Amino acid sequence: MSATNTAGAIDPSATLAVRARGVRKVFGSGALAYEALRGVDFDVAQGEFMMLVGPSGSGKTTLLSILGCVLTATAGEVSLFGERIDTRKERDLPLIRRALVGFVFQGHNLIASLSAVDNVRLVLEARGTPRRQSRAEAEELLARVGLADKRWNRPGELSGGQRQRVAIARAVAGAPPLVLADEPTAALDAHAGLEATELLLEVCRERGSTVVVVTHDNRIYHLADRIVHIEDGHIIDAPQETP
Amino acid sequence: MNAPDVQARLRAARGGRLTRGFATTILAVRMMLFDKAKFIGTVLGVVFAVVLANQQLGILFGLLQKNTMLVDNAGADLWIVPPNTTSAAPGQRMSTQLLYQAQQTPGIARASALVMAGTSIAKPGGGSEAITLIGVDLETMLGGPWNIVAGDRANLRHVDTLFFEDAQRDKFGGINLWSVREVGGYRVRVGGFTWGLQPFGPPYTFASLDTARTLVGMPTDQLNFVLVTLAPGADRAAVIAALRTAIPTADVISREDFHSLIVRNLLKDQLGVSFGTSTSFGLIIGFIIVALSMFSSVIDNLREFGTLKAIGLTNLDLTRMLMVQSVLYAAIGSLIGLGLVGFMAAGISSANLAVIVPHWLVLLTPCVMTGLCMLASLLALRRVRKLEPGMVFR
Repeated sequence: MSATNTAGAIDPSATLAVRARGVRKVFGSGALAYEALRGVDFDVAQGEFMMLVGPSGSGKTTLLSILGCVLTATAGEVSLFGERIDTRKERDLPLIRRALVGFVFQGHNLIASLSAVDNVRLVLEARGTPRRQSRAEAEELLARVGLADKRWNRPGELSGGQRQRVAIARAVAGAPPLVLADEPTAALDAHAGLEATELLLEVCRERGSTVVVVTHDNRIYHLADRIVHIEDGHIIDAPQETP
Repeated sequence: MNAPDVQARLRAARGGRLTRGFATTILAVRMMLFDKAKFIGTVLGVVFAVVLANQQLGILFGLLQKNTMLVDNAGADLWIVPPNTTSAAPGQRMSTQLLYQAQQTPGIARASALVMAGTSIAKPGGGSEAITLIGVDLETMLGGPWNIVAGDRANLRHVDTLFFEDAQRDKFGGINLWSVREVGGYRVRVGGFTWGLQPFGPPYTFASLDTARTLVGMPTDQLNFVLVTLAPGADRAAVIAALRTAIPTADVISREDFHSLIVRNLLKDQLGVSFGTSTSFGLIIGFIIVALSMFSSVIDNLREFGTLKAIGLTNLDLTRMLMVQSVLYAAIGSLIGLGLVGFMAAGISSANLAVIVPHWLVLLTPCVMTGLCMLASLLALRRVRKLEPGMVFR
């Protein structure tokens, strides 16, 4: 059960996984400056499966990148599970990513030279999981996403849907408390896209992970606990203030 | 998840460096081997550099050895040479007085004259070939011959007998043991053969002192060098100082110093520039191939490197990956390259041309190539370090 509903409101008593206040992001400078985020206030409750939707260029991927610590905000406050990340030095961000965040990318972004199981193991071992344990965990995860028999295949030997399953297994490997997915259905047909999102929802629920999905695929909206609209760098459904 | 849980996860992620290091090392190897064409191209770049540099250095060392072999094999501890001598070659003559002065110097076991002069051997069908005639003292045999492949040194006691270079037998008109030829207008006999004693100039031919003087028309009171061996326990520096005092009109030089002098002189004025250029050329070409190949590999896999950064690998992790690849490229390329050099050296080495690849060069090559590959990877490394992990969302 999540602390939210699809109508957009977040339970004020919910513990927050993500808290963003007044987040601005400006790309470039001078006359070429472009403000992608214009003071975003944004909360995600722990355990929530949230979708961030909006048209192209609305700033949703920029916001996701900032939450994933792969981009720093120009201004504003961002916390993950109470840990301020906007005040952290850039060299600390890889550590936060390793510890707290799992990613599902639009184009799978699997390492072409590694088998499915090694792609998953890499994330585990990057977090310090011993090799023997990482293999067992990775095989278990791939079995969970229905790819036990394909675990030694390289990405080039898998279909688009299978690759996205590997990407989901990689994202949840080590049970990161926050999983960020960028257009996870973009490279898939309608059926495979829905299946992949359902799978993401299931495995994240099993592990208690909070999920933020950036999408403009309305065929998967019904899976969300809550949908937040972003347009022109502003959140349309503003969160309620939390104490 | 509360604050202590977050801190615990951060602590756990901060650890495990060894596991992460091992994982990224394996990843580096797999990424390197995955694009086979690029892998082979890069290894070939290293092989090219190793082969060209080692082959050129091997020939250089061979040529240097050809020019120092007389000094190295004469059996003398010290050489008394005409002033400003820079090579063991025919040149200025000195008086035999020097020999007697040397023999009377304390600390000396033996001192012998050496005659060295250019002359020619007449061929039966007409024409002649140049030779470098070396006259040695048959009592001490200081100065040669060595590398004898036929005949006995004692044959030189015959007044008209010479030792010739085996590799030149055909060139000298098909000579065999006890063949009769004409040297310097005198009839001589072939008493033996040496192998590979060919310096830059004409091949060495050995005779007794008297025979050599006769053949080149040198008076008996002249010589070219005095070769000295030290008495057991003698202080080399003291003997050199004593000889320099006793013989101020000549230079006294130890075997090692004479060897170094010849090498220095050849490298400075002749061989250094040409072989240095070709060796550097090989290394530079190898460097460029490796640098471009590694850079293009990074560009091709930019998204993968971005993904690695996004999942939390640090610049240090990625630097280690490129360094691992550099070391492997260097190791594999050096191994193949040195193998090829070994085959080539065996194939092209002859009495005329020695290709010498010393052990230290074999050991040094992988080290140099590792440094070179690491340097070549800097361009790729710069690109990887500047890569923003956010690119994975674009």
